[in-house]
Amino acid sequence: MAASSAPASSRTNAEPTPAQARAEAGERYRTCHPKRQWSCCSTEDAPCVRSSVARATLLGIGAAMGGVAAGILFAIGDRNGGGDPASFLVGGGALAGFGAIMGSVAGRLGADAKGHPDRVRPSTVGLDLALGRPATLDETEPAVMQLVFAPNWFFPGDGGRLRVFGHVGGTLWQEQQVDPRPQNTSPIPGQSSTAPVVLRERRFSFGLGADLAVNLPYPVADRSSFLGRSELRYKPEVQIRRETLDPGLPSERIVERTMLLPLTVGARWHLSDRQRFTVYFGPRFDYVAFAEPGDERVRRGGAQIGPLYGEAWYDIDLPMTMQPRRDGAPRKASVNSQISVGYIHSRFDGRGFNFGPVVGFLGPLHARWATRLRPKDWPVAIQAGAGATIGNGLTFSGNVGVVLPDLGERPQTKESRR
Amino acid sequence: MKSWMLALAMLATAASSGCALPECTNPDYSEPECRVIAENEFARLRTPSSIELRFQQPDAQTPVTWDARGLLQLDAGIVAARVAGAGRFALSVEAEDGAPDEVTIELQNVDPAADVWIDRGTLEIPVLPDQDGGLRRTVALDVEPEEPVFLRGRRGCPERYRVAFVADIQTNPAQFERILERLQQERDDGEIIDQPLVAIVIPGDLTEASRDDEFDIILEILESAPVPVVVTPGNHDIYRPLHPHFNRRLGPGNHVSEVCDLRLVMLDTGSGAIARSVETRLPELFDRGDAEHLIVAMHHPAYAGLTGAGWSREDRAQRLLAEAAIADVDLLVAGHAHALRDFASIRVGDKTLRQIVVGTGGAYQGLGEPRFGYVRVTLGPDGLDTCFVEVPPPGFDSAQGQGLSDRLDYCD
Repeated sequence: MAASSAPASSRTNAEPTPAQARAEAGERYRTCHPKRQWSCCSTEDAPCVRSSVARATLLGIGAAMGGVAAGILFAIGDRNGGGDPASFLVGGGALAGFGAIMGSVAGRLGADAKGHPDRVRPSTVGLDLALGRPATLDETEPAVMQLVFAPNWFFPGDGGRLRVFGHVGGTLWQEQQVDPRPQNTSPIPGQSSTAPVVLRERRFSFGLGADLAVNLPYPVADRSSFLGRSELRYKPEVQIRRETLDPGLPSERIVERTMLLPLTVGARWHLSDRQRFTVYFGPRFDYVAFAEPGDERVRRGGAQIGPLYGEAWYDIDLPMTMQPRRDGAPRKASVNSQISVGYIHSRFDGRGFNFGPVVGFLGPLHARWATRLRPKDWPVAIQAGAGATIGNGLTFSGNVGVVLPDLGERPQTKESRR
Repeated sequence: MKSWMLALAMLATAASSGCALPECTNPDYSEPECRVIAENEFARLRTPSSIELRFQQPDAQTPVTWDARGLLQLDAGIVAARVAGAGRFALSVEAEDGAPDEVTIELQNVDPAADVWIDRGTLEIPVLPDQDGGLRRTVALDVEPEEPVFLRGRRGCPERYRVAFVADIQTNPAQFERILERLQQERDDGEIIDQPLVAIVIPGDLTEASRDDEFDIILEILESAPVPVVVTPGNHDIYRPLHPHFNRRLGPGNHVSEVCDLRLVMLDTGSGAIARSVETRLPELFDRGDAEHLIVAMHHPAYAGLTGAGWSREDRAQRLLAEAAIADVDLLVAGHAHALRDFASIRVGDKTLRQIVVGTGGAYQGLGEPRFGYVRVTLGPDGLDTCFVEVPPPGFDSAQGQGLSDRLDYCD
């Protein structure tokens, strides 16, 4: 089966191409001992991927990251500087371990099967909506809507792809805050409570970045452990938040915050056709600018070096139309879904995961679900999803978008890699 | 299908309006806004005999409102009034009809060198320090119904004076006691050269687990402080959320001291950020008025640099930096990181701020050689000077001696 799926060679006399050699190597390792089912290749396709072993390795890496982080934190004892990578290792390691366990459970339920060719990726263009949390009396916590975009350009020869991603958006209405001090006891016209509204705020958000993914050869050698494909990534990014306090009032001031991530690098590990672990990290530079009350000129200056930036994600594909219909009729559309859990080591948007006295060290946790629906033979797909963010409270979000045809050359094999 | 739509409609209705309550109706004192309410509640006390006491802004002339500048508690018929800040303070006392004509008040955390007096409008009666020479003053105050009386305090200052900063005591109050002994010497040395020590500032983490016995020990240790101690909570002081333990024992976390020509603003960042309502008050809190110097102290550093120990809400930290830049704050002081760090040039817009992290109060500093002690800030007409006084633990005979930064070195 593997041989038949390998690309035909134009050579007639002999030597297999490197891809063929790797595929044949995968074929050799595909067979496994009946008593060691857990270490078998997860699909019959070559090259082999031993998903259970890969996840056990990831779990071990996660535990090691946690151990290293604990060692660093113990050694430095809450001192500055050295605690910076350690706290990312805590979050990233925990996510790796959790993802590996979740992936194992999903694998037992069938999520190690062959991947769907139309894998869920960010919509080419879409709308995100993050819901405001229930408000205190006379306060408002506005929803945030963003126009997001993420077109892909695939490189020739299945070498990788470049994604340009970004968003523009902001709060849908003013945020209002009250002063809850008990000195305020008088009724206030137009308000339900005696706590006066003391702050109004609007927020504008803009982000732009590029995500370059380059495939590494797989397997790297004939005697590979076949733990799954991997990619290297480079993701420079800039995020800007412009917050207007007391808009329209004499006390109006503007705070403009910029996070620059010029050197974020990462890697993706395909633990099975349907499961991936992705990690990014890099330095961060912050710019804080402001306009004084009543002044429209934003006073900008130099950068501050910020804490280490990092992300860790575990994705599991859940295709819904891989099996033929029971009545044998052809499907009118293909549907694929993806569940993702992630940790972002940045509290730039005011989200941080705290517990007990551990306050101010970790970034937010994310859980997301996305479904892509593509009518048969359509070049365009529809994608929708929902998510939750845990960090200084719980925030729910939803999104809907369209998936346009990718630019460049579509990958010929293992389409679901990126 | 109809039941689906009905359920969605009910959910939307509940989410949009039905759940809004006044702030902190269901208290969770790990939330900073709940502590704002608590610290203001505890700055006012109505005795069972209908005498109302309120901490006020120093210039207040009427007792119609109050300000979280202290902690009022009733203990065996005596009102204990712990002044939160150093320098100027005011406490109003007002009796209702039928109230007794005298109330005994024990002022706590008042500088022995301060002038304290009873203000009856046209008559000012001095209140002398207690016999033991500590930070307490006890006064039996005559009160008449509907005739408010003020207790006021102020500390006179020479041209130069000193303030000491140290944070993060946590599991090592014994080391902090050594630091406090050194601060007693600092007070004596300062008086000799006419640079008095006017305040000891502790920006958070006085305890490890917010337990009552820990607060008991810290309060007992602070009894021997030579000058007023100004505090705000850290993350270790607030994480038992059922009660506002810190505020009940030590008073407000968000407050202002006006001592000599310094305006010292304390911000409660125990939850990794200041309360949103406090953020709205920053322009007022940072308004230096007649003060020459403006220092802001908090537990979590607003600028975390390369540490992993910043605010949980970096957006609010950066907004605070912007407000500090607008107000030309002279110095930010923080703790949280158990180390001594001097961020001498934090760029905010076209201005620069300076922040010192002084988590050297005794808490565990890792496997290396610890550096305990305090930062001395000397304020004068030509600005402020900073240096570090190391107080080594037993077994080390002297300070380490290496330079700390271009602007922060060991004190002579």
